[in-house]
Amino acid sequence: MAEMFPGSASTWDGAPRTSQVDSRLTSPIAGSLLARLREFVSRHRMRRAHADEVYTRSRNPKRGLPVADAPAVYAFTGRMLKSRKGLIAAMLIANGGAAVAGLIAPLLLSALIDDLTSGETEAAMLAQVNRVVLIVLIITIAQAVLQLVARRASAVLGHGMLAEAREDVIRWVLKLPLSRVESASTGDLVTRVTRDVGSMAGAVRWALPRFVITGMTLLFTMVALFVNSWLLALPLLFTGILLWIAMRRYLRWGPKGYIAEGHTYSRINSTLTETVEGARTVEAIRLGDTRVALTDDDIEAAAQAETYTLSLRSELFFITGLAHRLPLVFAVIIGTIGYGADLVTLGQITAATLYLQQLVNPIEMMIMVVNQLQVGVASTSRLIGISSVPPDRESDPDAAPVDGHLVAKDLRFAYREGHDVLHDVSLDLRPGERLAMVGPSGGGKSTLGRLLAGINGPREGVVEVGGVDVMRLPLERLRTEVALVTQEHHVFVGTIRDNIVLAREDSTDDAAVWRALSTVAAAEWVHKLPDGIDTMIGSSNYSLTPAQAQQIALARLVIADPHTLVLDEATSLIDPTTARHVEGAMNALLTGRTVVAIAHRLHTAHDADRIAVVEDGRIVELGSHADLMAAAGEYARLWQAWRS
Amino acid sequence: MFGFPPRVTAYTSSVRGVAPRPDEEVPDTRSPARFLLWTVGRQLPQVAIMWLVCVLWLLPGMLAPLFLGRAIDEGVRAQDMGRTLLWCGLLTITILISVTADAIQIGAEVANWLIAMFRMMKLVARKVAQLGHVITRRVPPGEMLSIASGDADTIGATAHTAARVLSALTSFAVVVMLVLSESVRLGLIVLIASPIIVVGAAPILKPVQKAQLAERERSSKLTGMAVDIVAGLRILRGIGGERTFGDNYAKQSQRVREAGVRVGTWWAAVDSSAVLLSGVLLVLLTWAGASEMIAGRLSVGQLVSFFGYAVFLLNPFWLLFEGAQRWIAGLVSADKTIGLLRHRPPWAAANPDPSRRQPQGTPTGSGHDDFLVDTATGFTAAQGQFTIIVSADPDEAAKLADRLGRYLPSTQEAEEDDEEPEGSKAAREHRRKKAERRARIAAADETHAEAPWGVTLAGVDLTDMPLDEVRRRIAVSDASPGVFAGTLREALDPTGTHDRDEAELALYTVSADDVWDSLPDGWQSVIDERGRGLSGGQRQRLVLARMLLSAPEVAVLVEPTSAVDAHTEARIAARLPGYRKGLTTIATTVSPLWLRQADKVALLDEGRIVAEGTHSDLLATNPAYRAVVTRGFDVPSDSPVSDTKAGS
Repeated sequence: MAEMFPGSASTWDGAPRTSQVDSRLTSPIAGSLLARLREFVSRHRMRRAHADEVYTRSRNPKRGLPVADAPAVYAFTGRMLKSRKGLIAAMLIANGGAAVAGLIAPLLLSALIDDLTSGETEAAMLAQVNRVVLIVLIITIAQAVLQLVARRASAVLGHGMLAEAREDVIRWVLKLPLSRVESASTGDLVTRVTRDVGSMAGAVRWALPRFVITGMTLLFTMVALFVNSWLLALPLLFTGILLWIAMRRYLRWGPKGYIAEGHTYSRINSTLTETVEGARTVEAIRLGDTRVALTDDDIEAAAQAETYTLSLRSELFFITGLAHRLPLVFAVIIGTIGYGADLVTLGQITAATLYLQQLVNPIEMMIMVVNQLQVGVASTSRLIGISSVPPDRESDPDAAPVDGHLVAKDLRFAYREGHDVLHDVSLDLRPGERLAMVGPSGGGKSTLGRLLAGINGPREGVVEVGGVDVMRLPLERLRTEVALVTQEHHVFVGTIRDNIVLAREDSTDDAAVWRALSTVAAAEWVHKLPDGIDTMIGSSNYSLTPAQAQQIALARLVIADPHTLVLDEATSLIDPTTARHVEGAMNALLTGRTVVAIAHRLHTAHDADRIAVVEDGRIVELGSHADLMAAAGEYARLWQAWRS
Repeated sequence: MFGFPPRVTAYTSSVRGVAPRPDEEVPDTRSPARFLLWTVGRQLPQVAIMWLVCVLWLLPGMLAPLFLGRAIDEGVRAQDMGRTLLWCGLLTITILISVTADAIQIGAEVANWLIAMFRMMKLVARKVAQLGHVITRRVPPGEMLSIASGDADTIGATAHTAARVLSALTSFAVVVMLVLSESVRLGLIVLIASPIIVVGAAPILKPVQKAQLAERERSSKLTGMAVDIVAGLRILRGIGGERTFGDNYAKQSQRVREAGVRVGTWWAAVDSSAVLLSGVLLVLLTWAGASEMIAGRLSVGQLVSFFGYAVFLLNPFWLLFEGAQRWIAGLVSADKTIGLLRHRPPWAAANPDPSRRQPQGTPTGSGHDDFLVDTATGFTAAQGQFTIIVSADPDEAAKLADRLGRYLPSTQEAEEDDEEPEGSKAAREHRRKKAERRARIAAADETHAEAPWGVTLAGVDLTDMPLDEVRRRIAVSDASPGVFAGTLREALDPTGTHDRDEAELALYTVSADDVWDSLPDGWQSVIDERGRGLSGGQRQRLVLARMLLSAPEVAVLVEPTSAVDAHTEARIAARLPGYRKGLTTIATTVSPLWLRQADKVALLDEGRIVAEGTHSDLLATNPAYRAVVTRGFDVPSDSPVSDTKAGS
């Protein structure tokens, strides 16, 4: 069949939207017990295959930032640990003391039982009881105090490391190369600074200290078991083997399962977010049932992921349950034989049963800790990946443009290799002029604007300001030469001053902020605020009207004070009802600067000094309105259509 | 096996006052407690399974000390291998049962959690779909989303704890009987000391909770700052400000660290007091037990059993304690949830009396000017024609578009995503005020929705037409319509009901060649959430194509190309009338590129239609009209980049 767009026929899928979940997974299970079991196993395999696929995809994202490897994570963690040696020592010593204290009490108690069965006089026995009980009481108090110290030290350590790590992450984010920031979608980065920082937090602040503490407790308890009686410690072998098998299986599949599960929940969230934020659209195009069905399908996918991790956990807990409970039985049987052969005493048997029961909690804790650490390592590797993005320019700190004359020479540029979107474009901007760029979407206007502003470097050719390649200018310098202004007017969480001083944050005093606010006609309403320029704005703080937000955005540029501005659709999203206010502010900003305006509206072009018509990556017409009308080209045709 | 996710059948009717269908569930939103009970009631079978396996799981905790004691007394001490094996065999059986029950218990536990949580999410989705634009006027989106993510989870936790508390009570009763049957004196010590220990630890838990709350608040603020930095990263790297906001983040990060250390310290206190208290219990038991042994009233094995019971009994108390806390947290979440779910559609069922649907006056049909009439402004549109509304104030035109589609006007009382004040009393008061404000809006909506609407389609007032019919026949684009994540095909054809030729034609009509070229996989290309990655103009054209493809009888387009460049706008304006041939199209714009294409142009001023005619007629004869549409030509020279069409 004929197609109006290349590749349309081959990508059109006749079937309507399909479920994410294989229907074989959701049909009811029937038949004999054996058949059901077999069906369950086959479904478990399908879920596993799916989880592995999601995991692999999440490790190698098509778009987005790189991911570091595990050694980088260990090196990073090692560096943080090294600077906290004193704290770590305090934690280890206090914790070791608490663990030892926890092991002495059962020993003393079992010794007491031996004494009681040795047939002394009643008074002597009572005295012995009182003595032992008093000692155990003192030891218990000591244990509680040591534990308090150890836990507090571990909290200080964990939270300190976490704070350092997340501040590092934000520092890396704030150093990302300009061209990377401009092109990448923010989704990946948002996930990293929220979910990944969250799971790193779990690992660093909870799992890492617990790993040390629990590891010590486990080790000491085992030593105590052997010291008590090596014979009665033999069941530990059984525990060890079973645990090893169960953990190996779990750690192999578990983390992938949880990552896949996490994905299903973010999908539920994003679908619901779209439904809620687009409620009006949903109603207008009668998508209600479709959106509800989508959420139901997302939830079904989450249920499948939960079923999978649930099966993994059930298996794990079944085996570990056997591993730490059955040794008790073995100990009693060995004890019966050993007691008869005079190899062990009743007290040793009692102590062994107590120690074995004391092992249960640390072992369960250790499993959770190792699991959390695995997830933490995966997340941390994604965070460290942010720091491994290569810089996009080599700036020369001594570069000093002689004037504000911006010239583009023979520019070629491609986002994808082999697909040039600009072909040999040259443009000489006269200082102080207003140049409007018009042309159809996709013609290369925005790309040319980004090259002029030094956001991206050209593949061939050069953009120079005052005789210096813009890509060689340090970023701080570039910002005061050329600025790209887009339709975005983000208000940051912070004070009004914070929101304005951006470009010269180290050298702007309050008077300059007020001057900038006056320039954009915002001083009046800021004066009326209780805290003036110290008023907190953004997010849930004092909320600005769209016009005020735009004024703040313009005041930033007044402070930056670049001689050249590239406006990309900068005003096309201005709320028409506030346009009067903001247009005045805009004009104040533009006065005395070179302006390149990528324009949607023809009257914008009409009023400019020169107009550049950009089509198919080339400047096809260039001149004043009158010149172009006289040339009777594309621009003139469009103007006629608009005018009549 | 455990019945999750649940099937949810609530909120099917888009008008109020309709009796629920026999299979439709009706959430009990009269009070938070009733809502929680309703939720638990919806999953009784799972609660029952949970109770059963919990009791089995607790078996070894209850019986193991008994069997272990007997094995030591009758087997080890008496050197009777037979007895040892007997008791050990019983011990093994209880362990096997318990471990199996443990595996099932994890499932039942998660199931109870998930069923309640998934049910909440599904209810929210259905509520939003049921109410559409009405709900966004009453409840801020952030609140709805936090109900679906946060409160749904809390309610899930409450449902699952309800089941656990039941089993804790059962096991407690069993152990009490066992303990008393062995030794009354020791039994009483265990029974009295265990609750004292738990209750004794309780006061420490209060500051823990407070500290945790503070940490959570600070830390969610910190996450907000990180997201803020990422969202504004383009500006931070483009204009500057890395140090300011990096430092702000670091400062907050340190505040989170302090709060975290405080929580950690309190937890350390809780943990070590647990060590202390259970240590004291052990000492107490040893002392009493040893005295009993010396007096010959107790055997070694029995003493070992008592150690086990004492440790075990702490569990049910912890569970009860946890249950109480979860219930309180659940009530708060349930309160927030019913604050959303209790909203009902403002629309009354359409009057079934057929006489009211009879068109009044002259019959209307193709070409007749009174096909679509708004009595408030005097606006009329003829069937099958292209009418454009021109207004100096774009808001006024948008309001008229909303009226034509029977959308409630935007509220005066703007709802803000406000934060709850600290302190439970102040928070309760805050919630009550919020609920009152919403009830006021709801009452006003219902009054508004019941009265005659004042817009007639083919002579029938929209109030007398079922809402579904209105939505099917009249489609109104809104000022910021959403693109939803999915493939390009799904973005254009979300219901999957159109064929390729139709879709291509729609895409061609909106001149979306650049969109097509920028997407690598044709129709299967993935569009991100909210169309992120596309430019404003590209998004706007996709939304327009979606509207065109759905081919409504009446399409009302609000500023359809406000973000599109003039070249492209000219192409779209030229192609659209042909695409909509035979259907009624209404647009609001002041762009001459569009106006030339219209069959009729209506000038709206101060809430009334003041002039009608073709673009060229009005341009020639009406100075007010000329002033509005030619404003762009005559901007003063000090306003060189006024990019908006309808600027001042």
